Amino acid sequence: MPLPMIATRHAFFTGKGGVGKTSLSCATGLALAEAGERVLIVSTDPASNLDEVLDTVLASTPTAIAGAPGLHALNIDPEAAARAYRDRMVGPYRGILPAAAIASMEEQFSGACTVEIAAFDAFAKLLGDAQATAGFDHVIFDTAPTGHTLRLLTLPSAWSEFIASATGGASCLGPLAGLEGQKALYAATMARLADPAATTVVLVARPEVSALREAERTRGELAELGVVNLQLALNGVFATAAPGDPIADAMTRRARDAIAAMPAGLAGLPRTETPLLAKGTVGLDALRDMIDPARTGHDTAVDITRGPLPAGLGRLIDDVARAGRGVIMTMGKGGVGKTSVAAAIALSLAGRGHPVLLSTTDPAAHVERAVGGTVPNLTVTRIDPEAEVGRYRDEVLAKAGAGLDAAGRAMLDEDLRSPCTEEIAVFRAFARTVDAGKDGFVVLDTAPTGHTILLLDAAESYHREVLRTQADMPEAVRQLLPRLRDGDFTRIVIVTLAEATPVHEAERLQDDLGRAGITPYAWVVNQSLLASGTTDPLLARRGGYERPFIDKVAGFSSRRCALIAWQAEAPVGAEGLAALAR
Amino acid sequence: MKLEVYDPAMCCATGVCGPAVDPVLVAFAADLQWVAAQGVAVQRYNLGQEPQAFAANPAVVKEMEAGMDRLPIIAIDGHIVSTGVYLSRDQLARKLGLGAPCCSPKSGCC
Repeated sequence: MPLPMIATRHAFFTGKGGVGKTSLSCATGLALAEAGERVLIVSTDPASNLDEVLDTVLASTPTAIAGAPGLHALNIDPEAAARAYRDRMVGPYRGILPAAAIASMEEQFSGACTVEIAAFDAFAKLLGDAQATAGFDHVIFDTAPTGHTLRLLTLPSAWSEFIASATGGASCLGPLAGLEGQKALYAATMARLADPAATTVVLVARPEVSALREAERTRGELAELGVVNLQLALNGVFATAAPGDPIADAMTRRARDAIAAMPAGLAGLPRTETPLLAKGTVGLDALRDMIDPARTGHDTAVDITRGPLPAGLGRLIDDVARAGRGVIMTMGKGGVGKTSVAAAIALSLAGRGHPVLLSTTDPAAHVERAVGGTVPNLTVTRIDPEAEVGRYRDEVLAKAGAGLDAAGRAMLDEDLRSPCTEEIAVFRAFARTVDAGKDGFVVLDTAPTGHTILLLDAAESYHREVLRTQADMPEAVRQLLPRLRDGDFTRIVIVTLAEATPVHEAERLQDDLGRAGITPYAWVVNQSLLASGTTDPLLARRGGYERPFIDKVAGFSSRRCALIAWQAEAPVGAEGLAALAR
Repeated sequence: MKLEVYDPAMCCATGVCGPAVDPVLVAFAADLQWVAAQGVAVQRYNLGQEPQAFAANPAVVKEMEAGMDRLPIIAIDGHIVSTGVYLSRDQLARKLGLGAPCCSPKSGCC
């Protein structure tokens, strides 16, 4: 069975970024529509590529997909939702309150939490309010990368609790205040998620150890939330038809080993396997290949002649090393190998005798595991939201709580339990880590795109706040945005894969960075089958499809572009990472 | 008696949601609780969350037109008693005609 069977009204596809959630949810939705069902596909990902996969310009209301009767899709754009929310809250007071008052209200609604809240509000409406989707037999959510998805899924219970415990008018609901009346809707949302007769959650993973580990983590967290109707969808399963090619053999072995070593919790779930396809999964025709893999082979011949390809990562690291200090941030959609590339750069710089701090803001990253042991000159850390919140609470209570009586302390404690506290605590830790780049190298592996952009947005709005406020501001926070914008201090490396969606996402990331006044330093195209030299028929064909994307990246990253070949050995440990840094 | 506070737009009343904590805000929030415990009806409006309260009060709108630094505005029984500053517990007690606080907030006897 190549695709998950959905018997419930609602289905969620979740998994590490880049595992193919959008493709699988679209193919599953298309299969249902072709069986006569009325299907709505919804994306709540701030970096959604649903438009691209369905080859249709989507909106925030259902749009019919041409060529697929019964199939509709919509995109919840969290930023647009936030704008609408802001207008709803501020609009009625234009012309009544002074312009300066309106401006200061708007600023309160431009923070990161407003975006999250507005997106969640739209999401809850679709899931919790049966009327909103009455015209459809199935509603399929192609959710955002794992960290974000989980936040989205855990929010209802967190907020129900939060709203329930907020007493009087003193609590810090912040920008949430306008949503307090939504409590019943949130409760309905949570109930629907946990009802096995109403909702199926499909954990999507590639047959790789890290993706499966991530899926297991998600399974555990969902089980804790009472969500039990789970399926596992393995995407991109490959077994070579012609043994003998070292790359194809390694890929076959790695997939087989990863599946064999799958955690018991995952192995016990109903499972589907979608084979690796040579062609990408953009457009209805490609989606039909996923529904029926036997129908492939009709694609036109691809020219895989080896023209000149960009050089490896080594030359880029030489350039960086000359600066002697600064911050290197690897960015990109989840699953493109940001952690490996960051670890390879850090290890290589440390090997040249530079002191290096390797850190991550990605809740799902496994930096320690990638480095695989202690290395001279290299320190590995992680920005752990829970630890940071604890540290921030202690600091606030020590500084501001000292002069308070018991009632005042209780109220402060209540405010420190608000959702924005985590945002601030993580932000401060991020500023502190970047600050360390003034004395040596800091290599930061940032969380998937959506989160990263929120972080940068937060940096921008904090920057404005910092300039305005006279409060006692840590120097690291004051310096953050100027440092991120200083190309001699911060070098942003955009990591991508030679495929349609990752390249498209990376371009969007570059645009977003541009709007924040930040120019990327270099581009890295990772895991290239074309550069690997494989002669396996399927993999070589897949490699051939990489060509236009590599050329495209090399074209618009005129300054620096590096190409990393798909590695027969997994890129972990000193040796595996050294191979990446060549 | 009724005490009303018109705050500037901010995330939360104690200010812990801002980029740095302002101890004045934290102390003021605690002082209001104390005032409420003395039997005064306390109402706090945040410009970011309750703009209708500002719009409904012409005296407050007039102050804001003179400059946003007039916030916070504190009113007792509808009369503005201070602008641009968070009054201390002692000052609040005096304006409200309450007895002096039984002790300083730091002594912990309350």
